[in-house]
Amino acid sequence: MKILVPFKSVPDPNDATFAGEAASASKSVINPFDEIAIEEALRIRERGEATEIVGVTIGAPSVDEQIRAALAMGVDRAIRIDDARALDPYAVARILRAVVEKEAPHVVIMGKQAVDDDSNQVGQILAGLLGWPQATFVSSIEFLDNKTRARCTRETDAGLEVVELDLPAIITTDLRLNEPRYVSLPGLIRARRKPIEVLTCDQVGVNVRPLTTVLAVARPPKRPAGTRVESVEELITKLKQEAKVI
Amino acid sequence: MDFAWSDQQRELLNAVGRFASQQLNYDVIENDREGIFNHEAWKKCGSFGIQGLPVPTEHGGLGMDPLTTVAALERLGYACKDNGLLFSINAHLWTAVTPLVYNGSEAQKKKYLPGLCNGTLIGGNAMSEPNSGSDAFSLTTTAIKKGSRYILNGSKIFVTNGPIADLLVVFATVDKTRGTDGISAFLVEKNSPGMNVARKLEKMGLRTSPMAEVFFENCEVPEENLLGKEGGGAFLFTRSMTWERGCILASAVGSMQRLLETCIRYANERKQGGQSIGKYQLVASKIVDMKVRVESSRHMLYYYGWLSGHRKSVYLEAAMTKLHIADCWVKCSEDAIQIHGGYGYMTEYEVERELRDAIASKLYSGTSEIQRNIVASMLGL
Ligand SMILES: Cc1cc2nc3c(=O)[nH]c(=O)nc-3n(C[C@H](O)[C@H](O)[C@H](O)COP(=O)(O)OP(=O)(O)OC[C@H]3O[C@@H](n4cnc5c(N)ncnc54)[C@H](O)[C@@H]3O)c2cc1C
Ligand SMILES: Cc1cc2nc3c(=O)[nH]c(=O)nc-3n(C[C@H](O)[C@H](O)[C@H](O)COP(=O)(O)OP(=O)(O)OC[C@H]3O[C@@H](n4cnc5c(N)ncnc54)[C@H](O)[C@@H]3O)c2cc1C
Repeated sequence: MKILVPFKSVPDPNDATFAGEAASASKSVINPFDEIAIEEALRIRERGEATEIVGVTIGAPSVDEQIRAALAMGVDRAIRIDDARALDPYAVARILRAVVEKEAPHVVIMGKQAVDDDSNQVGQILAGLLGWPQATFVSSIEFLDNKTRARCTRETDAGLEVVELDLPAIITTDLRLNEPRYVSLPGLIRARRKPIEVLTCDQVGVNVRPLTTVLAVARPPKRPAGTRVESVEELITKLKQEAKVI
Repeated sequence: MDFAWSDQQRELLNAVGRFASQQLNYDVIENDREGIFNHEAWKKCGSFGIQGLPVPTEHGGLGMDPLTTVAALERLGYACKDNGLLFSINAHLWTAVTPLVYNGSEAQKKKYLPGLCNGTLIGGNAMSEPNSGSDAFSLTTTAIKKGSRYILNGSKIFVTNGPIADLLVVFATVDKTRGTDGISAFLVEKNSPGMNVARKLEKMGLRTSPMAEVFFENCEVPEENLLGKEGGGAFLFTRSMTWERGCILASAVGSMQRLLETCIRYANERKQGGQSIGKYQLVASKIVDMKVRVESSRHMLYYYGWLSGHRKSVYLEAAMTKLHIADCWVKCSEDAIQIHGGYGYMTEYEVERELRDAIASKLYSGTSEIQRNIVASMLGL
């Protein structure tokens, strides 16, 4: 079985850089949900159910550090679609469809959303474009019937939902699926010998253009400092007249 | 001389920083209070690759050059707040692993290095004795050859990693009348008959790095565990001390950088007298001094690493590097407490621990006075 894992390079969420300020390359990481997807693919391979894991990302050469991190974790080879534009979910899904058609994986495992824009759409759109079944927000995956079907547990507001789907399929990962391993230095050194294939959109035969444009990114307004009240009476008056909550 | 990192080095350093900040900083206050060694973190460091940094690849290491190694340890010190853990790793690297790499027989390297690199084995050394510290070569522990074994008798003190070590490099004399030329080094495994890891020593700082007194009473060591030549111990010790002096405070440079950043943040946030305390010249000037100390320490460290990697003599530079960084670390951590005011003195702010951890750097691997003696003698004084 071959697994395709799309992943995105995002500003390090543990490093409080403001989204509007250019994050330096060294402060980027693999999107944590995608890291969970990579980890799951590795575990599936380690239990003997997969033979190849291919990673794919879209970006400028500066994302190579995250690609090598994925290879260091254990991904076998990687593809970078060389496109530095800020793409929206539909454009990303169309590029990924082209990669899926080229690579013909049995399953695509990817993060449910990227922590920078929180779109939570690519997996779903990709499934739609391919006409494949999908299981989103997944917290466990198991393969059935000689790996022709998958049984996934989904985390929903109402509770845990168990679904079965035919392969090939799209699976998007939630936080509790696993805890990803860390990139080790020997892994990083091994990763240098693994191939990174760089392709343009032209080469995979798609012509994408973002349908949405980000006009501005602004910091949330600073909250004004609180005020001290002298007495309970003053508090009640203010709650009534100013805050109008009682 | 070029200290601009290649892409490969930068990726390695970033990986170290990410690993350390995510995996090594739990229970530090608690472990410091109780004097607990974080064995789990040690194993993680091993599987991540820290203990193998300077070890050739054929023996299970990463084969990194000295400059990359000290830079990686600096980043480790920046991202990991458990100075005791890092001290244990340093003692392991520079007093057990390096002597094995440079003086071990093929069989010894094969037997011990892979485990020492991957985190399954812990090493240390036993040189200091109750009556020989700075004057290390006046040691009195004896090793008398009997058939195919050496019989060790004597007592050692201040053995870092003693309570947890699987392998100790023990220095003893095969013949007191030969003076320095009688000193020899032995690889002694834990639970060797006649070796007694006694009292665990309670200390001011580096409390997460365990230390013990070790006694040898007719302790039998097989002759194949002689490290280097009989009588070659003093040379071996001097060489490993040079490595140790150059590298052991790499993580301290990272820790100073972290303190500096913490202080800048605090000085900007903390307001007294209607303004950020960083606006007071007396506070700002402390932070400026910290910055200069970090930068000068870093440059001496990298310079040492560069020289060492280019196989130049580093005896003088290692002593100066150790001397300077130790002074800077102690001063930086004292200033950091001062800048934090009363809060800096409180355990939960994790600043006071830094001073307690830093002070020993003026003692181990040769006291600051001994480093000054070395520099003076190298200057022809
Ligand atoms: C945290 C820590 C970890 C350690 N780990 C180890 C270890 O793993 N293995 C090991 O073998 N040892 C270890 N040591 C011991 C360390 O190497 C000694 O403490 C150090 O060499 C000093 O020896 P001493 O304590 O006997 O002091 P002394 O040598 O008695 O020195 C006392 C004072 O006299 C000064 N002095 C001594 N001789 C001279 C001189 N010639 N000129 C000027 N001043 C002088 C010293 O600088 C010092 O200020 C460790 C020590 C510490 C604090
Ligand atoms: C062991 C201990 C016991 C204590 N016991 C008591 C107690 O019993 N009762 C009590 O009320 N308090 C007590 N304190 C609090 C102590 O009085 C304060 O810590 C001290 O006054 C400093 O205030 P701060 O900690 O808020 O630091 P800050 O005032 O915030 O000072 C932070 C840093 O800024 C510097 N700074 C501030 N203002 C200026 C300025 N104008 N010019 C130049 N530099 C400036 C300070 O020197 C310091 O380096 C105690 C503190 C300690 C450590």
